Amino acid sequence: MTITIGLPSKGRMKEDSSAVLARAGFTVTAVGNDRSYRGRVEGRDDIEIAFLSASEISREIANGTVDFGVTGEDLVREGLAEADARVEFCARLGFGHADVVVAVPEIWLDVDTMADLGDVAADFRARHGRRLTIATKYWRLTQQFFSGNHGIQLYRIVESLGATEGAPASGSADIIVDITSTGSTLVANHLKILSDGVILKSEACLVRARKAEHAGDPVVAEIIEAVRGAL
Amino acid sequence: MPLVNLPAFAPDLIADLERLGTERVDTPVIQPAEPFLDMAGEDLRRRIFMTESETGKSLCLRPEFTIPVCLRHIETATGTPKRYAYLGEVFRQRREGSNEFYQAGIEDLGEPDVARADARAVRDALAVLKNRLPGRKLSVVLGDQSVFEAVVAACGLPAGWQKRLVHAFGNQAQLQKLMADLSNPAPSGTFGPEVERLAIFGTLDDEARLIAHIDETMEATGYSTNASRSPADIARRLREKMELASTRLDSRTLALLKEFLALELSLAEAPKALAAFADKAGLSLGAALARFESRVAALSETGVDPAEITYRAAFGRPLDYYTGLVFEIAPEGDALVLAGGGRFDRLLTLLGARERIPAVGFSLWLDRIASVKGQAA
Repeated sequence: MTITIGLPSKGRMKEDSSAVLARAGFTVTAVGNDRSYRGRVEGRDDIEIAFLSASEISREIANGTVDFGVTGEDLVREGLAEADARVEFCARLGFGHADVVVAVPEIWLDVDTMADLGDVAADFRARHGRRLTIATKYWRLTQQFFSGNHGIQLYRIVESLGATEGAPASGSADIIVDITSTGSTLVANHLKILSDGVILKSEACLVRARKAEHAGDPVVAEIIEAVRGAL
Repeated sequence: MPLVNLPAFAPDLIADLERLGTERVDTPVIQPAEPFLDMAGEDLRRRIFMTESETGKSLCLRPEFTIPVCLRHIETATGTPKRYAYLGEVFRQRREGSNEFYQAGIEDLGEPDVARADARAVRDALAVLKNRLPGRKLSVVLGDQSVFEAVVAACGLPAGWQKRLVHAFGNQAQLQKLMADLSNPAPSGTFGPEVERLAIFGTLDDEARLIAHIDETMEATGYSTNASRSPADIARRLREKMELASTRLDSRTLALLKEFLALELSLAEAPKALAAFADKAGLSLGAALARFESRVAALSETGVDPAEITYRAAFGRPLDYYTGLVFEIAPEGDALVLAGGGRFDRLLTLLGARERIPAVGFSLWLDRIASVKGQAA
């Protein structure tokens, strides 16, 4: 059986993934030219590479069209319901760090914890005639964190596909859930992360689709072993 | 074409609802999604079937009847009191069972005699179920959020805590966690460096100065002072939070709350037990207890034996429009809820009614009733 690995198709993520695989003894080359979306591993006919956009990788792992993928944990956990039942996070690769966080306007001097936010959300409708709004592209992570971990249900999500951190100042939402790596964009927009508001500390991971035929497959075991050994 | 899943007993059930003096209403299957998400929160989004109109308006398949019936009442402005009955299909994403199934029920809007309306809702739900499941023993569990609210208020807890506790009522895990947090000796308030700086300058002691400071900062950083929380909102809650940070839930109050939440006994004995609890604890639960007692009396008058009902003090629904009575009916010895109901005095105003309309109602799960009937046959 040929094992397919989905890798990011461009940018830093592409370079870093190839570097980790190379350290693990798998040298990735593009088939045809540099821009090709198919690749192979030198000397290995039993491994194929598919270059995909980062968000496609989690979907393709879920479908089982690729066996492994390198992508951010945040995208997998946001994209898949019950992620742990469907995929295995085999290794954390040490790059692509990004935290998914709850951030509120700095000037909300009374709000530093999720419990504070819960109080504000509970009263919001009575005071403002509408629910508290959260701008985010992370619907699933937000819902799990707010209601699952903190019992906060009374809020509305405003979908945001870009420049989320500008939403509170522009008035299109009250607070945000977004990724941040250095926090500087949040600071520039006068937002602060709640002290217990880190939903997920994400980084690039080697992720395996949980497929029955992987059991006892020596190549699957070899890839996991080699990547773990290369970190 | 026969309707999928419609139980054969539906016509008899409709006749029962009619005999109870109700007006049958129907509502469109396709509903605006906003009111459901607004009332129940974002979690509902995963459990309903949503779509969009051509113009981008969020629509959903009717996930329940209470909100559509209330909206219809507000739109048609037909005056109160009204007793509406419904029977129709609802659509929800469920782990078990079909995603489309039938519900029926009664919404009793605007009856000023609260005890009487509460008792009637329980009686009607029981009567309809008994007609469909003759000979089957049913167990009823009843709770009352207003009693919990009264206990929390009588304990003399700060207003901020009362709100938190009442908000968590009905969600056991959340409430336990909250009580543990509030009694934890570690400082309960976290304040940012800006608050500490303001404290040093004395800005926190002067509300007007604090508001002015927040206002100026918002202006300077490009935040609107009226699109979201206003400077006055933030200042008020900051002072509230500072007061809370220096208080703890003492062990006596914690023990009292736990003792109250553990109460579970026959409804016939509940008024006496609650009065005894209040006496022993030195709490005055006056009006809430009186309302509780008059509901029990009203139940007896309508022919429901309170001894057949279990009162569970911790039973509630963590939705902010439920205000008092909640109840569930299941076959004895089975966890399958056949009917659920409660009082939602805040819902109609939240949905846009101009005046406050007290409301109570219940709904029946027809697929579950059919399966219990099947077991008997």
